[in-house]
Amino acid sequence: MFELLFKYPPAVFSRGHYLLLAPLPVWVLLLLVIAGGALLFWNIRRHAHLLSQVRRITIWSLETALIALLLLLLWHPAISVATLRPQQNIVAVLLDSSRSMAIKDEDGQTRFDAASKLLHNGLLDSLGRRFQVRLYRFGADAERVDQTRFFQPPDANVTRIAQSLRDIATESTSLPFGAAILLTDGAENAGGIDFATIQRLRQTRIPVNTIGFGKDKLRRDVEVEDFAVPQRTLAGSRIEARVALHQTGCTGEKARVTVADGDKILASETVDLTHENQAVPLVLNAGPAGALNLVARVDPLPNEDNVQNNALSRLVNVSGRKPRVLYVEGEPRWEYKFIRRAADDDPQIQLVSMLRTTPNKIYRQGVSDPSELEAGFPAKPEELFAYDGLIIGSTEANWFTPAQQDMIKEFAGRRGGGVLFLGGRFALSDGGYGATPIAEMLPVHLPATQTTFQRVYSNTELAPAGLDSALTRIDDDPVKNEQRWKKMPEIANWQAVGDPKPGAAVLAEIIPPGHRKTPLLTTEAYGRGRTAVLATGGMWRWQMRSEHTDKTLASFWQQMTRWLVNDTPGTVSASTPKQVLADEDKVPLRVEVRDKTYQPLAGAVVQAHFIGPDGVNATLQLQPAASETGVYTGEWTAPRAGAYLAEVTASNPSGEIGRDVVTFRRDDGVAENFRSTQNRDLLEKLSAQTGGHYYTPREARHLADEIAYSEAGISEHELLDLWDMPIVLLLALGLRGSEWLLRRRWGIV
Amino acid sequence: MRVRIALPAIVVLCFSISAVFAFQAQFKQYPGEEDNPTTVPPGAFERTEWTFARLRYPSGRYTEYAGERGTWPTDFPKADRQFLQGVRRLTRIHTRSTEQVIDMNTDEVYNWPWVYAVEVGHWDLTDAQVKMMREYFLRGGFLMVDDFHGTYEWEVFVASMSRIFPDRPIVEIEDKDPIFHVLYDLENRVQVPGLQYVYSGKVYEKDGVVPHWRGIYDDRGRLMVTMCFNQDDGDAWEHADNPQYPEKYTSQAYRLGINYIIYAMTH
Repeated sequence: MFELLFKYPPAVFSRGHYLLLAPLPVWVLLLLVIAGGALLFWNIRRHAHLLSQVRRITIWSLETALIALLLLLLWHPAISVATLRPQQNIVAVLLDSSRSMAIKDEDGQTRFDAASKLLHNGLLDSLGRRFQVRLYRFGADAERVDQTRFFQPPDANVTRIAQSLRDIATESTSLPFGAAILLTDGAENAGGIDFATIQRLRQTRIPVNTIGFGKDKLRRDVEVEDFAVPQRTLAGSRIEARVALHQTGCTGEKARVTVADGDKILASETVDLTHENQAVPLVLNAGPAGALNLVARVDPLPNEDNVQNNALSRLVNVSGRKPRVLYVEGEPRWEYKFIRRAADDDPQIQLVSMLRTTPNKIYRQGVSDPSELEAGFPAKPEELFAYDGLIIGSTEANWFTPAQQDMIKEFAGRRGGGVLFLGGRFALSDGGYGATPIAEMLPVHLPATQTTFQRVYSNTELAPAGLDSALTRIDDDPVKNEQRWKKMPEIANWQAVGDPKPGAAVLAEIIPPGHRKTPLLTTEAYGRGRTAVLATGGMWRWQMRSEHTDKTLASFWQQMTRWLVNDTPGTVSASTPKQVLADEDKVPLRVEVRDKTYQPLAGAVVQAHFIGPDGVNATLQLQPAASETGVYTGEWTAPRAGAYLAEVTASNPSGEIGRDVVTFRRDDGVAENFRSTQNRDLLEKLSAQTGGHYYTPREARHLADEIAYSEAGISEHELLDLWDMPIVLLLALGLRGSEWLLRRRWGIV
Repeated sequence: MRVRIALPAIVVLCFSISAVFAFQAQFKQYPGEEDNPTTVPPGAFERTEWTFARLRYPSGRYTEYAGERGTWPTDFPKADRQFLQGVRRLTRIHTRSTEQVIDMNTDEVYNWPWVYAVEVGHWDLTDAQVKMMREYFLRGGFLMVDDFHGTYEWEVFVASMSRIFPDRPIVEIEDKDPIFHVLYDLENRVQVPGLQYVYSGKVYEKDGVVPHWRGIYDDRGRLMVTMCFNQDDGDAWEHADNPQYPEKYTSQAYRLGINYIIYAMTH
């Protein structure tokens, strides 16, 4: 129908350039249209007594439009379009051969069968009549095959569209590729199509046309879409886990979500399925040191379409190291006692404390040797940065020298440690911190006044951001946890700390009698580290006003000190963005090497020693990253499925700088179980960004004709007349006919 | 309209009432029970981190010489306030100028993790008080007892103490214990006598010739109860301004008391 009216297929109009071929300039055309319109307007005004104003304007509009159309035709409109030369161009037909194509959701047949049928029923023939056709199967990459192999059932464990297209782009450098046709469900496992691939395709000018198979949504399915846990933690710590669910057709039902280590369930929660996407926060205990294999699972619901996507695994490196926290307290107070007691009961933390008992005397506890901190608060960065965390109590800001204040700031910013500021009569605003560089690192805007500390018993409660935080978890059950915070004894004192800064999170609040709520615990990421303000020195009443068997306060302080140090890097810090290789084998490593003052260190020799299943034992030397000083990168291929450990060491001529451990695992045969619905959005964007089009199987019949209009490969430009399109004649007749009918009706013919 | 006006008034009143009760217990005088009355110094009602908390215990059947008021206010309140002056001057502990009397018939003791009891050779705790003190110590509370002498008073003290902790021994505190070093090094301690020394020249009372610094430890090796047995630090504080009372005893009593406070606030 479209071609009947417009003479050419739609692709001509969308890909061509419009031209006016007459030698006269366009402004003359516009001038004539305006003059014609004016003339007609003058003419119709002469018969004003016969017609109302609305009718006069209607008649004038139709006449002017007709004049404009006729004048436009005199200027000889045409369209210039590039077309591929017949049989001189190659069209790559890429058929998705991943296991998700075996899902039977195309009118009773599999996606692969539907694609095969489309190709057999004329598409391949029509393509063959105009182009040289190359057939490719793709999964992890594109493989050129003959027709027999091309139509064999899908067997690939992954779908990597970007990699497959890069393969085609590479081939196109020596061959005239005119277009690529992708028959796929778009269920990509590599995290999408990166910008570099799109750029590469644009350079080759190959339009990628996509034909999508499969339903956008499954009928009934609950999928564990993501499972977020920290890569590493300290033994015995609470871990925050977040299980992201995606469901279709199960709204209103209940689902049980568990996180388990082998057969042992560490956390579970039954949730109401209310939205298509929802996250389930869980808090669990990391247990003893070692690699923790966690599996997040949602119990299958009755008649679920796909139960293979109900579980996801992650690996957590539970470290047995004993980080050191330095606690500086400016006056004897009860909170100090109970912080120390909590640390004494924590086998994973060494709390080194210095307490100003008199103006000139400091009492030290938890020191490694008698000389530690003998001269007072560290004066050199390498001394302060030897600690992993820092707590600053009720200590006047000017007790620290300006250099020490800068060091405290850099402790979080550069060293990557955690710094906690406690409330107190010499703390925060009252301690003069507002006028120091330290104010910048605080997660709150300190008030300008210096009377912010109040010795008033006050209740506390969780803020919304604290409901799911492991830091504020004093009961394993999230509902009971919220209630317990409200029922805990009043704290002995509180301090106004001002509003939280953008990016900061208020986890708990104080409800002072007669005042509005004010932040109790506020945290934020700062530089490479993190900072927190606990606006009280009176949590100790939680212990003195509770049964002695109640260890809530000790747990709170242990969690708080662990939060300070959990993510504190050493001088050598190794990481990988892929802790679980889902049907992949390449693991990228990134190692940051710093000196004792935590300045990036160039010129180090960095090696990773891998130990894996079945005696896998290999070494990889990492190379300095081009753009970042002190960063070393490398990629290693994990030969088989299983859990791996990489010990990274960095050294220079003066000896070993430090070492770190990274754990990861390779899982085979899992990736295709997830995101198995058709990713139409991805395919549409891919086509749009490369100059191609997205087609449903039904729309793909005309694909061979439409892809002929392309500038890729060997093409020629055609100039196509537009004046003789049937639609033009119909339009002219329509305008004139409408005017005549209206005139007849209004009796002015 | 009346409801509109009354409702905010009620809310404000509730806030005000709750604000009054939300503070730590305030200083209160005990006019009929003061052993050595003195003026109320400025800053008596200040709210502070710590103050001298004196345990108001029952003397029960052992009150024959002290009368109805019992033995708890011995040296009170002058000893308390003079000692507090020293704590304020010598340390960074935030303390008010007056003591806090802790009535053992309430649970107020849980708000004061350091308490002092004098003449405990005459105390006689009820079952409820025994239970409360045991819980107090296990939660983290600290008790300094003082001014009891000789075999008889020791036995009376132990009679109640062994009901609090039947399972924990009373031991001599070793010189190397942090409590003798937390601020002042106190390896070389002397027996601190009461005021009777000024008249008798004797540093001991009854048959308490040998001074003892004893204590009860918790499971983590931290002192919960400390006993200054056959000594009278309370008198040394009380008579710190008495020219006849030797300064060396007062000095040690101050140092010891301060060490005990700082120990309690750090262990």
